Amino acid sequence: MEILSSLAQGFAVALAPANLLWCFVGVLLGTVIGIMPGLGPPATIAMLLPLTFQMTPAAAMIMLAGIYYGAKYGGSTTSILLNVPGESASVVTCLDGYQMARKGRAGAALGIAAIASFVAGTVGVLGLMLVAPPLARFALAFSSPEYFGLMTLGLALVVLLAGRSVIKALLAALVGLWIASMGTDLFSATSRFTFGQMELLAGIDFIVVAIGVFAIGEVLANIALREGTQLLPVPKGLRNLLPTWQDLKDCRFAFLNGSVVGFLVGVLPGGGSTIASFLSYGLEKAVSRRRGQFGTGVIEGVAAPEGANNSETGGALVPLLTLGIPGSGTTAILLAALVLWGFKPGPLFIPENPTLFWGLVASMYLGNAMLLVLNLPLVPAFAQVLRLPVYVLYPLIFGVSMVGVYSVSGSPFDLALLAAFGLLGYLMRKLDYPTAPLILALALGAGLERALRQSLMMSGGNLAILVERPIAAVMLSLALVVLLIPLVGRLNAWRLRALEPDGG
Amino acid sequence: MNATVRALVLATIAAAAPAVHAQGFKPTRPIEMVVHTGPGGGNDVLARAIAAMIEKEKLAPVRMQVVNKPGGNGNVFVAYVAEKRGDPHTLGLFTGNMITNMLISTEVKVTLRDLTPIARLVLEPAVIAVKADAPYKTLADFIDDAKKRPGQLKQSGGSITSRDNVVRQLLMRSTGAQWAFISFPGGGERIAALLGGHVNMMVIEPEEAGEHIRAGNMRVLAQVSERRLHGFPNVPTLKEAGFDVPVVPQVRGVVAPPGIPKENVQYWEELFRKLTRTASWQKYLAENQFEDGYLTSAELAAFFDGFSDRMREILGAAGIKTVR
Repeated sequence: MEILSSLAQGFAVALAPANLLWCFVGVLLGTVIGIMPGLGPPATIAMLLPLTFQMTPAAAMIMLAGIYYGAKYGGSTTSILLNVPGESASVVTCLDGYQMARKGRAGAALGIAAIASFVAGTVGVLGLMLVAPPLARFALAFSSPEYFGLMTLGLALVVLLAGRSVIKALLAALVGLWIASMGTDLFSATSRFTFGQMELLAGIDFIVVAIGVFAIGEVLANIALREGTQLLPVPKGLRNLLPTWQDLKDCRFAFLNGSVVGFLVGVLPGGGSTIASFLSYGLEKAVSRRRGQFGTGVIEGVAAPEGANNSETGGALVPLLTLGIPGSGTTAILLAALVLWGFKPGPLFIPENPTLFWGLVASMYLGNAMLLVLNLPLVPAFAQVLRLPVYVLYPLIFGVSMVGVYSVSGSPFDLALLAAFGLLGYLMRKLDYPTAPLILALALGAGLERALRQSLMMSGGNLAILVERPIAAVMLSLALVVLLIPLVGRLNAWRLRALEPDGG
Repeated sequence: MNATVRALVLATIAAAAPAVHAQGFKPTRPIEMVVHTGPGGGNDVLARAIAAMIEKEKLAPVRMQVVNKPGGNGNVFVAYVAEKRGDPHTLGLFTGNMITNMLISTEVKVTLRDLTPIARLVLEPAVIAVKADAPYKTLADFIDDAKKRPGQLKQSGGSITSRDNVVRQLLMRSTGAQWAFISFPGGGERIAALLGGHVNMMVIEPEEAGEHIRAGNMRVLAQVSERRLHGFPNVPTLKEAGFDVPVVPQVRGVVAPPGIPKENVQYWEELFRKLTRTASWQKYLAENQFEDGYLTSAELAAFFDGFSDRMREILGAAGIKTVR
């Protein structure tokens, strides 16, 4: 029961009035920057770093962590309401979240995002508290061949994300892989597809493509449809705006899936919340009985990825705090912060600073509860955005998209790219190409290529390394199963038809 | 070695010079300190630390604000500073990688050499580390094993143009040993690959290695620096370990837009000279195990030339095409 006494000690730290206040400030700030596309947690934390020198390290750590996980709550808001992903981890939330909003269920989508975030966020902290050290060793067993397996599994989900035509989905995925290959190659320092443009030397930012193809493309397509100026339906009354019992029941598995997948991917230094959200969405779809309805506004399609990207935070803190290894931009700046405060993050950090660690863990339980209380009442308020007439709403989406992209890089070139990808998104809709495979392939492409080439460099060019290592082999087998599911389904349908005497 | 002597001579001359410093210029609006990373990147953190120190030590009459210009492997940053031609209130932080990048990118129209050198500030040494349970006790052990099994041993590191690979190239050339270099984009992944036993060796920053050594997970074989670092009094430098290869530090420092007046250059030079003499700066260097790398404007210009020549040669030997 050592954990219980440690945790009690942690709550003593986290419940100190000043720390409680900083925790609230952190999660509130996190929610705000999460809602605004563009400005993300790393930028906010970096800008607030000088302020933290006036605070105790515990208070500072509690606040900065609050910004980190708080931003994951807010990230879904613009995805659901405007089809503008607030951050890369919320891209996949657009797929079903925005469709729910179009059907008048924006409130339920926002509500379930908050609830899933709370459930999975809390599970993530539990994981961090209970299994951090053994899991850190598991994370070290993961290297390039295992990542290759993981990314392949993710990419296999393209087939599941396909609409009516698998060929069109694969073509879209190829374009995504092509965009992912742009920029300076890490291994040979060669420029690829830069077209002589200096700005393309570092490749194209994922979020620019996602906002362009999803948000701008969608608006352009809607304008072209001349849908008129009717408003999107928004039900009246708080009760009708929040998720129903049925919704919660539908999401039972999604909560579990998001919590577990998010945490495990978060623990891997080469993982990240984007991959976590895509994987849990794909898993949700693969096992769902209403697989065919995904992408049309299924509530599990919001709950799983939103849960995963919150649980990922708890996971990502595992290698950071137990090994001093950051896996993402945000954990890297948290690491820098710890060093600036005079700590030595590394394998001895937790044993030598138990109060700080347990105080942080306790504050994360409190912070997640605060976020739920903070976010649920915001749902009805945000849902009202959809009452805006389209001549206000569409320019608003354009504005939010442009601000989001510009605030990341401050580069006019990225705005031009945004416009170009908006046009691409429009054309894809017109020609009935699914956009999700392009985005997923782009999100995974660079990592997939890198993992493959690293593996081959490790093995001296021998492909066997990909199947000789057990974890990698399991991942690749799973990918194979995922690819076979639709085939089996089709065979089954064909068999049924053949069995029926009148050919039905 | 010649460059060091020249640098020393120049330093002596420069040390006498500040007496006549810059009456002509004083900043009147906030100083823009441009960096090539997003918030949280190496130079961003350094720039924010510098801004805080300048304010704390009251070294300038105005505030310094950090402006992030990420993208294009640092080239967007260079182009932005270059466009501020003649602007007396803009500065930028460079890293040595920008010199390497300009040598290999045809896309780049303006380079770091088009900007006005102001001061070199930091030298970041490195150490060569292996996992604690590895059979290698000295760098020579590792090199011998690599000779026995050419191409079998592995090193994790950053991009192929990074300092990690330059150190490897220099060691391989001077010993005839061969081992593989596996690039990982994130520092965390490089360490994880070593600790997980997926690679055999890495070149790592001393501060990062420190905790893994204390926890008994890593062992340091040699240090890539001219003198022994205070954190590693018992670890030989490359030269002491019997490998007489040039020490390639990671450098950071300050540049300004092209075409700024002479008194402007002198003012910045003096500002950063004063900064590097403050207790806060020395403490910052010690905490991060950086070395004081202060060079004046003229010395930095010479350093740029020498560094480019050396990198061109190393890249060429590694089979990477240089374009200028």
